[in-house]
Amino acid sequence: MLKQKSFWASLVIFAVLLFLPPVIPRFYTYILTVIFVTSLLAMSLNMLVGHGGLFQFHHAAFYGVGAYTAALIFTKTSLGFWMGFFAGPVAAAAAGLIIGLFCVRLSDLYFGMLQISLGSLIWAIVFRWYSLTGGDDGIHGIPIPEFIASQKSAYYFILIVLGVCLILLYLIYKSPFGSTLQAIRDNAERCEAVGINVRRHKLMAITIATFFAGVAGVLFVILEGSVFPDLLFWVLSLEIFIMCLLGGWFTFAGPVLGAAIIVSLRTFVGTYTEYWTFVLGIILILLIFFLPEGVGSLMLKLFQKRVQVKPKETGQGASG
Amino acid sequence: MKHRHGFFGRRQRVFTTAFVLITSLCIAAAVFLPAQVQAKNIKVGIIDCYSGPPAVFAKDALNGFKLALEEINAAGVLGGKIEFTTRDTKFKVDIALNMAKELVMRENVDVLVGTINSGAAMAVSESVAKTEKVPFIVWISKSERLTGEKGHRYIFSTGENTAMAGKAGGVALSKKPYVTYWFAGDDYEYGHAIGRAVWQNLQRGKPDVKKIGESWWKPGEPDLIPYITSILSAKPDAVVFCTGGGSMTNVMKAIKATGMAQKVPIYIHSATDHAVLKPLGADAPEGVMGTMDYHFYYPDTPENRKFVQDFEARYGAPPGFPAFHGYITAKFIADAYRKAGSHNTEKFIDALEGLKVDSPAGKIEMRKCDHQAVLPMYLGITKKEPGNDYVTASDIITLTGDEVMPSCAEIMKARGQ
Amino acid sequence: MDFGQSISAAAIGSHLLVGLSRAMILFIVSSGLSFVLGVLRVPNVAHGSLYMIGAFAAYSISTAVGGGTAGFILSLMFAPLLVALISLIAERSLFCHLYQREHLMLLLFTFALMLILGDLVKMIWGADYRSITAPAFLQGSVSVFGSPFPIYNLFLLAVGPVVAVGLWFFSNKTKIGKIARAAAVDMQMVGAIGINVSWVFAFAFVLGCFLAGLGGALVAPTVSVTLGMDHDIIIETFLIVTIGGLGNMWGALVGSLIFGITQSFGVLFWPQFAIVFPYLAVVIVLTWRPKGLLKSVW
Repeated sequence: MLKQKSFWASLVIFAVLLFLPPVIPRFYTYILTVIFVTSLLAMSLNMLVGHGGLFQFHHAAFYGVGAYTAALIFTKTSLGFWMGFFAGPVAAAAAGLIIGLFCVRLSDLYFGMLQISLGSLIWAIVFRWYSLTGGDDGIHGIPIPEFIASQKSAYYFILIVLGVCLILLYLIYKSPFGSTLQAIRDNAERCEAVGINVRRHKLMAITIATFFAGVAGVLFVILEGSVFPDLLFWVLSLEIFIMCLLGGWFTFAGPVLGAAIIVSLRTFVGTYTEYWTFVLGIILILLIFFLPEGVGSLMLKLFQKRVQVKPKETGQGASG
Repeated sequence: MKHRHGFFGRRQRVFTTAFVLITSLCIAAAVFLPAQVQAKNIKVGIIDCYSGPPAVFAKDALNGFKLALEEINAAGVLGGKIEFTTRDTKFKVDIALNMAKELVMRENVDVLVGTINSGAAMAVSESVAKTEKVPFIVWISKSERLTGEKGHRYIFSTGENTAMAGKAGGVALSKKPYVTYWFAGDDYEYGHAIGRAVWQNLQRGKPDVKKIGESWWKPGEPDLIPYITSILSAKPDAVVFCTGGGSMTNVMKAIKATGMAQKVPIYIHSATDHAVLKPLGADAPEGVMGTMDYHFYYPDTPENRKFVQDFEARYGAPPGFPAFHGYITAKFIADAYRKAGSHNTEKFIDALEGLKVDSPAGKIEMRKCDHQAVLPMYLGITKKEPGNDYVTASDIITLTGDEVMPSCAEIMKARGQ
Repeated sequence: MDFGQSISAAAIGSHLLVGLSRAMILFIVSSGLSFVLGVLRVPNVAHGSLYMIGAFAAYSISTAVGGGTAGFILSLMFAPLLVALISLIAERSLFCHLYQREHLMLLLFTFALMLILGDLVKMIWGADYRSITAPAFLQGSVSVFGSPFPIYNLFLLAVGPVVAVGLWFFSNKTKIGKIARAAAVDMQMVGAIGINVSWVFAFAFVLGCFLAGLGGALVAPTVSVTLGMDHDIIIETFLIVTIGGLGNMWGALVGSLIFGITQSFGVLFWPQFAIVFPYLAVVIVLTWRPKGLLKSVW
C-alpha cells in the first residue's frame, strides 16, 4: 500500500519537474539542475553510509574522478561525448574498487581515515599535475554537445539520467543484495556467521556507489562546463554527509531532500550573508539534537501515521 | 552503526514543525521577494572571495570601487546611478559559478565584476560571460589567459596579468649582470605562470642566462627554510620567487629570517605591494626587487595624493593595487555607459573598447584588441625609510604599459586567430 | 625531478632539522587530538579551528600589549587558556549531551563546530591576514651545518620534547591523568568505581583543545595567521594520529616525525610533488599496519 502511494507520489513529482522549465525563471531551472546532480551524489553516498553503515568519509574523491575523466576525454581526446559519459563512472568505480580494496580490511574509523588519506592523495595529484588536469585552475570551457548545451536541455537530460539512476538504486535497495547490505550494517559478525562474505559485499557496494558518484560527476561537467580540484576536496565529502543526515539516511530518498534543502539554503542564504557556513553549522547542530533521523524520515513517519489511522480489527495495532 | 527507532515525542514534533516552517519561509521569502529592479540604474554584480587570506585584496578592490562610485553617482550616469551587489565565493569555483549565474539570471545585473581566484575567473568567463553575453570585468586575478588565449568579447581586465608582470620583471632583470638563476614559488597556476613569463622575457633580453634549479612548494606552506637553504647552497646569481597573496608573507618572513636578501639578489612580483608589506611592518626584508602597478606614494601626483587622502579618510588605510583596479573599473563602467548613451550591453562593450579614463596614475586605456587595461609597472627595491613603520619601494623605475604588454599580434596568435 | 643541486650532508642535516621543528608543532596539536580521540573515541574535526583561534588569540594578546617579549610570553600563556575556555563552554553546553549517541553524531557535531568557529573567527577578527613577529631574543638565525637556521625553530625543537614529557608525566603520574587513561580503555569500569565519567570527558576534551591552542600560539610568529589555517592542519593531524595509533601520545610523536621528515625530504628530492610524500607515507604505513604503528588505545 505504502509502496504504491510513494510510487505515485514520485511519478507526480517527476511529471511536475518535467513541465517546470517553461514556466519558471531560468535561474531556478539552473538551481534545480544543481539539485539533481547533488542529489545523485548524495544518494550514492547514502547507499554506503545509510544502508551499508560504512564510514565513507571521502566520497567526493570519486565524484571528482568521474568529472575529471569526462572532462579530459571531452577536451583532450576526440573520442566523443558518449565515450566520456560512460568512461567517467567507470573510472570512478575503478578508483572506488581500488581504494575499497585498501580500506575494506579495516573497520569503522580506520576505514574512514584511510579513505581520507587516499582520497587526499588523489586530490593532491590532481592539484599539482597542471599539465594534465589544469592544476588548481581546473579545466574550463569544456565542449558540450549541442543537444544538451542549453540550460533547458541540460535540465531534461540530467533529470532523465537522475530518474534512471534512482530507479536502479531503488531496485538495488530492495534486492537481496541491498537487504544483505543492511544486515551487514546492523550486525556484521552475525552475517559472517551465517556465511555471507561480508568483505565482498562491501566491495561490491562500494563499486556500485562510486559508479553512481561518477555519473554525478559527469552530469556536473555537462551542467557547468568546468572541473576544478574543489570537487575532490574533503570538505565536499562532509557536506554530502550532512545532506544524507539531513534527509534521513535510513530512508531511501532522504538524501534527495537533504541535497535540495542544502543547495537551496546555500544559494539563497548565500545571497544575503557571507556567513553561510555559520548558518549551516547551526542547522547541523539543531539537526543533531532534534532531528537525528532527518527530515525525510520525519515525513515518512507523518505519512505512515496518516495511513495507519484506522486500527486493525485484530487489535494488534498498526505495524510499520 | 545501528538502526535506531527514535521516538517521536511532542517536543520534537513541535520543534521540527517549526524548523520546517521557518526553512520554507526563508526559502519562499528569498525566492519570491522581488529583486530590486529600478530600470534606470545600472546594476553591477561583484563576485569575489571575502573569506580567508584573499579577502584582504577583495575588500580593497571593493573599497576602491565604492570610492569611485561616490563621485560617479553624484554626477549620475544616463539619468540614474550605478548600484552594486556582492557575493562571497569563498575562493571556491563552484560557488563562484553559482553566484555569477544567480547575479545574471536572477538579479539581472548589467555587468559582472570580480575576482581574485583565477580558476573562478576563467570558469565564469567561459560558462557565464560568454554564454549569457554579459560583460565580465576581472579586477584582481592575474591570469594572462583571461585576455590572452581564452579572451573573447565579453571579458575585460583592469588588473595586471602574469604576462605583463613577467615582461616587466624579465626585462628589468635582463639588464642586470646575473647569469645563473633559481626559480622558486607556490606550486599552483599563478606561480608557474609568472615564473614562465619572467623566464621567457629574461631569456629574450639576455640569451646567455641559465636556470640552474627550481623549487616549488604548496601555496601557503609555512616552512620555507629548507627551500631557502637548498637555494642558497646552490649559489645562484639571482633568485626569482613566484608567489602571491598569503603565501607571500611566508616567503618574505623566511627571507628576512635567513637574511637571504643580503646574500643574493631577489626578485618577486608584487613584493613592493603595500598589502604585503604593511602587515609585516618592520619585519619585512629590505633589498628585495619587486614590481607593482600601483603605489599609493608613487607617482606623487596631485591626483594620486587626493585618491589616497579620500581613501584613507573613508577606510582608515592607504589603498593597495586592488583598490586602484577597483577604482578604474568603476570609472570604465561609468564612462563607457556615458559614451554609449544607452543601457544596451553591446553598445556598452563597443564604447568600452579603446576607452581612456582618468586615474590617480594618469590616463589608463582599455585596449581594444584584447580588452586588457594598459597599466604601467613600477620596479622598485624594498627599503625601510625612516619615519615609516613599514617598508616601501624605493629607486622606482617606471615601465609604461606599452613596454610591458604583449602586442596585439601576439594575443591574436595565442587565440589562434 | 631535479637533482641539479648537489645534495650535501649539510643540506640534508638542515632539512632534517627543519622537518623536526615542523614536526614539533604537528606533535603538539596532534597529541591534543589523540588525547581526545583516546578518551572520547571521537575525532574532533574542530581541532583545527581551535588551533586557528589559538593563533589569532596569540596575535591579539601580543598586539594588545605592544608585542615584544612580554607579548610573546603572555600570548603563550593566555591564548591556549582562552581556547580551553571556549572548548569547555562548547562541551558543557552542547557536546556532553551527545555522549550517549552514536559516534557518528559526535563526529558531525564537531564538524558543525568547525563550521561555526570558522565563521566566528571571521566575524571577530575579520578577513585580513595577520602577522606577528617573534620576540627579539628568538629572532634571527644561527648557522647550523653551514646554513641559516632560525632561532625560533630551535626554540620549537626544545618546546616539543618539553610538552611531550609534560604530557607523559601528566598521564602517568597524576591522578587525573591516570583516570583519563583508564577511562580511555574502559569507560564503564571507571564509571562503576564512582568517578563522574562526564567530567572526565570534559577534562579530556578541554585538555586536547588546550594543546591545539598552544600549537596555534606557538606557530603564529612563523606563518601568516589567516582564515583557512583550520582546514590545512586538520587533515594533517588526522592522518598523524591515524598512523601513530589512535589515542597513543607517543604514536602522535612518531606520526608527526614521519610527516615532518617525509615532507622535508620530499622537498629535497622531488619538490614538485613534495606534498604527496607524507600522504604516501600514510598509505604505506596503513597498508602494512592498518591500526597504526603503535598500539592504539582501542
